[in-house]
Amino acid sequence: MKLLEHEGKTLFKSYGITVPRSQLVENAKTRISLELPIVLKSQVPAGDRKKKGGIVVVKNAEQNPRALEEIFQTEIDGHIPKSILTEEMIDFVAEYYVSFSYSSEFRSPVLALNSLGGSGVASGVIIPVDVLLGCTPGFVTDALIMADIKPTEAMIQVVMNLWKAFTEEHLVLAEINPLFVLKDESVVAGDAKVIRDDALIENVPKPFVSLGGDIAIIASGGGASMLNIDILMRAGGKPANYVEYSGNPPASVVEELTKRVLSQPGIRGLWVIGGTANFTDIYETMMGFVAGLRLVTPMPTYPIVIRRDGPRQKEAKEMLLEVAASEGYDMHIYGPELSMSQSASELLKLTQTK
Amino acid sequence: MSILVDKNTVVLVQGITGKEGARAAKEMASYGTRVCAGITPGKGGQVTPEGVPIFNTVAQAMIQFPEINTALIAVPGKFVGAAAEESINAGIPLINILSERVPVLHVARVIALARKNSITIVGPSSVGIISPSKGKVGSIGSSGLAEKIFVSGPVGVISKSGGMTAEISRILTEGGFGQSTAIGIGGDPLIGSDFCDIATLFEADAETKFIVIFGEIGGTYEEQLAEAISSKKITKPVVALIAGIFAETLPLGTTLGHAGAIVEGGRGKASAKIAALKKAGAHIAETPEEIVVILKKLVSS
Repeated sequence: MKLLEHEGKTLFKSYGITVPRSQLVENAKTRISLELPIVLKSQVPAGDRKKKGGIVVVKNAEQNPRALEEIFQTEIDGHIPKSILTEEMIDFVAEYYVSFSYSSEFRSPVLALNSLGGSGVASGVIIPVDVLLGCTPGFVTDALIMADIKPTEAMIQVVMNLWKAFTEEHLVLAEINPLFVLKDESVVAGDAKVIRDDALIENVPKPFVSLGGDIAIIASGGGASMLNIDILMRAGGKPANYVEYSGNPPASVVEELTKRVLSQPGIRGLWVIGGTANFTDIYETMMGFVAGLRLVTPMPTYPIVIRRDGPRQKEAKEMLLEVAASEGYDMHIYGPELSMSQSASELLKLTQTK
Repeated sequence: MSILVDKNTVVLVQGITGKEGARAAKEMASYGTRVCAGITPGKGGQVTPEGVPIFNTVAQAMIQFPEINTALIAVPGKFVGAAAEESINAGIPLINILSERVPVLHVARVIALARKNSITIVGPSSVGIISPSKGKVGSIGSSGLAEKIFVSGPVGVISKSGGMTAEISRILTEGGFGQSTAIGIGGDPLIGSDFCDIATLFEADAETKFIVIFGEIGGTYEEQLAEAISSKKITKPVVALIAGIFAETLPLGTTLGHAGAIVEGGRGKASAKIAALKKAGAHIAETPEEIVVILKKLVSS
C-alpha cells in the first residue's frame, strides 16, 4: 500500500528524519500560516507531480492568489487531491537520492544512493544490505563514499534512520528524493515515497483493473489470470476487466466478484476462466458464481463460457448445466477438454454470432 | 532421477493442525510420501486424525525422527520467519514454504540464513514440488489430481504460479511428455529458489532433458535465467511461457495476480523478459499448448 507524501513524511519524522515545516490543507479556503515563499504539493498517489502541475511554488501573495484553488482542481493521473501539503522552501546546497527497497537480483534489501538528486536511481549505486547484520554506521559510510556523497554525521544518521523505518514498519519502499543538504550540513527530506508491505495489511482489496473492453472476465489463479488476458487479446477480444481469485475462497467471495464484474456497462460476453486448480474447490466457487449471477439485473442474455478444471470439477459442471437449462442462461461449460485459448476463441465466436 | 523430492523424501509439516497444513499432510501421505511428524506449538503429544505425531518444536521431532529431510511450512504468513528459522537451525536441507502473505523482510532473513547454512528454500507461496510417481511436497495436485495429471518423464517444470504448474503439466502429459519434477516457486517479490536455481538442478539431473518455465511480470528472475542461458550455465533447451503482456499499459506499481507481479518499467516487463529469453536462445510459447508443439519439434530435430 502506497502512502501519500504527507503520511510518509509523518512516518519519517517519527523516526528522527527532519522534514520541512508544513501545513496540510484540506480545502482551498484555509489560511496558510507559513511564511512565503512556500511550495504547494498535491497529495495524490502519482509520480512526476512537478511535470503534471502537482507541485507549485508560491513566491509572493500577488504572483498567483488562486494557486491553492487551482492545484486542488488539478487532476493528476486520474486523481483529484483531497489535500495539499504546503511547505516552507528549503535553501539547500546539494540534493541527493536515498532509498531502501528489495531487489530480486540480490534477493535482499538494497540501499540506493545517487549524488545527483532528482534524477532518481538510474545513474546511482545500488548496494545490497546484509539483512542479518543490518545497516551499520561502517556500511553506510562505505556506501556513501561509493556514491560520491560526503559521509557527514547527519548523512549517516538519516540513512540509518531510514533503514530503521524500512525494517520496523515493514516497508517495501522507503525513498527520499530529493534529500536536501543545507549549508550547515544538516539534511531535510524534501519528499517521501513510502510503500508498505501488503502482507501485513488486513483485507487488501483484490486488484480490479478496468481495461475498457466488452468481455467481462472472472479469472482464477494469479498466473493464469494474467496469461488469459494476453490470450484473449491475441485472439482479438477486448477484455473489460482484470480480476482474479485464487486459493480456496468461500462461495460468498466469488458471488461478490461476479456481481462486480457483471455490473460493468457494455458487456457482450462473460468468460469464467482458470487453469487446473491444485486445491480450489471448483464446485464451491461455482456455487458462488451462480449466486452472484442470479443477482445481476437485467438477467444476462449474452454468452457465458466457463472453463475450469480441478477438484470437484465434474460436480460443478453438472450443477452449472442444470442451472443453465432451468434458468435459461446461454452458458457453455467446459473442463480440461477445451484449452484456455480455445475457450477464448469459442466465446469470441459466440459473441459475434449473437 | 528427479530433483529435490523422491522416494526417500521424509516430511515434517509445520502448522499441521491448520487447514492448509492438515490438507497437505493428508494429500502427501495419500501420494505415498512419508509424513512422519507435524509441529504445532502447544499441541505436542497429540496425533493428527491420520495418526501423525505432533511436536511442539522441530528439534523435538528431529530427535525422534532424525531421517526427516524436508520441512513443509504451512503456518500463517507472519509466523513463517520463525518457523523457517527453526527448521534451518535443525539442519533440514529442504524447506518448502506453502504459506502466502509472508512479510518480505522475513523472507529476506530466511533466504540469508538459508544461504549461510546451505539449505534450499522453495517458496513462499509455493504450491509444492512433485516428482511424479516418486513423491510430492505441498498442496500440488490435490484430490487425486496428482495421479491424473502428472506422469514421470523428461520435462522439468518451474512455475511462479501454482495453477499453471498443474495446467502445464496436464498439457505436457496429454502431449506425451512426462515430468521429472514440477515445482511451484511462488510469485512473491523475493523467493528462496528462483528459475536459475532450479534450472541449475535440472541441468545436473540426468532424467531432465527439457526445462519449461512459466514466468510473469515483475522482478528479474526470468531475465536472470536468460543470463544463465547466455553464459551456458544452462544448456538444456528452455521453453518459456510469460504472462502479463497486457499489463504494459497499466499504471506503474499496480500489483496483479501475485505479490511480486508488479507493473514495472524496463526490466520486469513481460516484453523485456520475452526479449531477453529469446535473445538467450530460449523458445517462447504463447499458449500452454504451444509448449508441446515446441517440444515435439525439439525432439524431432
